[in-house]
Amino acid sequence: MRASLKWLGLGVVVAACVGYLVVSATGSSAEYYQTVGEMRSHGSSGDVRVLGTVQNDVVRTDGGLHVRFSAAQDGQTMPVDYRGTVPDIFKPGIQVVVDGRMGSDGVFHARTLEAKCPSKFSSAQSQGTPTN
Amino acid sequence: MVLAGLGSAFLLASLALVVLSAGVGLVAGRGDDHRLAAVGRRAFYAGAAGLVGASAVLLAALLTRDFTVAYVFEHSDRSLSIPLTAAAFYGGQEGSLLYWALLLSAMGSVSLAAGAAASVRLTAYANAVLAGIVAFFLVVMVFVASPFALLPVTPTDGLGLNPLLRDGGMLIHPPFLLAGYSAFAVPFAFAIAALLAGRQDAAWVAHTRRYALVAWGLQSVGLTLGMWWAYHVLGWGGYWGWDPVENAALMPWLATTAYIHSAQVQERRGTLRAWNFGLVIAAFLLTILGTFLVRSGVLPSVHSFAVSPLGPWFFGFLVAAVAVSGAALARRSGQLRSPVPVEAAASREGAFLLQNVLLVALTAAVLWGTLLPLISGMTGRELVVGAPYYERAGAPIMLALLALLAVGPLLPWRRVRGGWLKLLRWQLAGAALVLAALLAGGVRQPGALVALPLVAAGLVTCLLEYGRGAAFARRLAGPWPAAAVRVLGQNRRRYGAYLAHFGILVVAAGLIGSHVWQQSREVTLRPGESVTVGAHTLTYEGMASRSAGDHDELVARLRLGDETLEPARLTYPSLGGQALTRVAIRSTPLDDVYVVLAGADGDGVAVTVFVNPLVTWIWVGGALLVAGVLLGNLVRPEAEVERAPAPVGATAPAR
Repeated sequence: MRASLKWLGLGVVVAACVGYLVVSATGSSAEYYQTVGEMRSHGSSGDVRVLGTVQNDVVRTDGGLHVRFSAAQDGQTMPVDYRGTVPDIFKPGIQVVVDGRMGSDGVFHARTLEAKCPSKFSSAQSQGTPTN
Repeated sequence: MVLAGLGSAFLLASLALVVLSAGVGLVAGRGDDHRLAAVGRRAFYAGAAGLVGASAVLLAALLTRDFTVAYVFEHSDRSLSIPLTAAAFYGGQEGSLLYWALLLSAMGSVSLAAGAAASVRLTAYANAVLAGIVAFFLVVMVFVASPFALLPVTPTDGLGLNPLLRDGGMLIHPPFLLAGYSAFAVPFAFAIAALLAGRQDAAWVAHTRRYALVAWGLQSVGLTLGMWWAYHVLGWGGYWGWDPVENAALMPWLATTAYIHSAQVQERRGTLRAWNFGLVIAAFLLTILGTFLVRSGVLPSVHSFAVSPLGPWFFGFLVAAVAVSGAALARRSGQLRSPVPVEAAASREGAFLLQNVLLVALTAAVLWGTLLPLISGMTGRELVVGAPYYERAGAPIMLALLALLAVGPLLPWRRVRGGWLKLLRWQLAGAALVLAALLAGGVRQPGALVALPLVAAGLVTCLLEYGRGAAFARRLAGPWPAAAVRVLGQNRRRYGAYLAHFGILVVAAGLIGSHVWQQSREVTLRPGESVTVGAHTLTYEGMASRSAGDHDELVARLRLGDETLEPARLTYPSLGGQALTRVAIRSTPLDDVYVVLAGADGDGVAVTVFVNPLVTWIWVGGALLVAGVLLGNLVRPEAEVERAPAPVGATAPAR
């Protein structure tokens, strides 16, 4: 009985440590995930991840390393500015997830830009067509 | 047309047979009836044969380009090479279900044939469980997602395969992962059978040891190849992005890793019974949960899965599996108290237990991060976490696991006698040496300064064990190397495990190096201009464009020392102008120079250059780990004889 109490105590300590790790890591790094429309209606502060569809106004400069475009979803649009490597399948019509924050200039400054990528469960022709 | 009918008939016959097998197996288990048990097994074998037939038909339909079949139309076209066409067998939703059921029924058949000689009752119940799982897949294929569905009109050509997926790594990593998951259903089935039969001894553990190891080995291969593919093809400079799809593959691997260690405690000391049942059940449920998450589209992922009707089916199966396992566990919970509790924390079994707790904690942390969007979405706005969460929550746990890799294998069963300092002197020396070398080399990142010495200590432990085995061989078994080979051969399980440990430590060194010291730069270069990243200078020489079959290539030439790197961008006009990056990588044991062509601007190019230190060691370590599994797994458990020296400070005989 003494032995099992000791193990139980050790288990509680380990669980508490892991719980603390998970909670503190969640608190410091969790971000809202929303569509352009949801972000417009909730407003935003701090880092958020936003899902939107790339519109036809894509401007690429610096050999493609700097890109500006509008992302739209749920009837709302926002301008996005991103510097970095752009995914292969990036083009008007595809869905992207941008991670960053809304600047005071009204432009969303993205740190990362990910394209929703093709999965093995969808065929080639269904790629690159707007899905919203 | 004819083929599709034949395939559907095979599936239907198979379903009838496994449903019969499940019922007969259950009755045979209850009555301990030899003859009925044999009938149940034969029905299972016949069901497996039906799945082999269905698989042959699907392959034939793909290879003969039978576009009357919807699956063939959706996943191949006439220009696709033969190997890629054959790979479409498991490349799509319906085909991957058939592939899963085929492997499950094949491995299940082998395990049932082997188990029947040992225990009729246990095997009859295991038969019922395995047949139940196969029946689920068959019901889905017969009623919801048939690989043999027909198209109303016959097209002249198929839709083909996305160019991103036309790659060797993509071809081979999913089947390994799926095979690993389906193999793990065997330990699960025997665990549930032991609960149903009221057997708490380690018979089910011993019988399924090799299946668990095979499952773990296959999952390890699948994960390593998946990382390799992501690194070489996707062109973002990394190999792991903590996407839900990756996490879904990682969690069962973590749980299986825990189980293959705790199983040894039950085999050797008869303890941790309830824990092992719980772990096996959890690992199996995680494979189903992973499949559900990946197929249902309930999580935000950069992989946009085709919305499929399979989500609710897998969810239902998950709920049923939880209910059945929970009921079986609850029914026997009173009898599951271990006869010998773990005597002391500082013992081999104590180390295994701690390792298990850490792995379960890591699995829980990954599960929380993966499910957070679902959980937070139910109560309000959807929250997501990315790599920073997993690094912050996971790194301390991984460091503790690294420390255990150095200490755990040294500890004797039952309890340690003697001082810690004496036990760990070589490990401490190795760690101190690496720490001093890192400091002298100007390394100041705390992550590397803690983790790499721990890796060194772990490697010392593995080498010491091999050294002790070699010394033992020379003393007792005559002149070596012949003697060393004999000692190795007689203790394959032990030395296989140390080789796997060695492999995972090498992987860890690669992960740490590439994580802590990765450097990257994004630049635009005119011909003749150079960029320096870390210790490497690349000079842009020029660009060429050429046409190659179904795509156009834009190739940049960059000079690195006396080598030329040629990153390229491929464009597929037939696929709506889809672009594809071809990364150029120069690998050495020290670091990889990884160049991505981002775009062209007049005669200039935009490139992203990564320097990824030690990445090669991830692939080397993965290969060592798998070699260790193969070495440890080729021995029959009955023939296992412990002839190696007992660990330092042992107070009890090995058994």
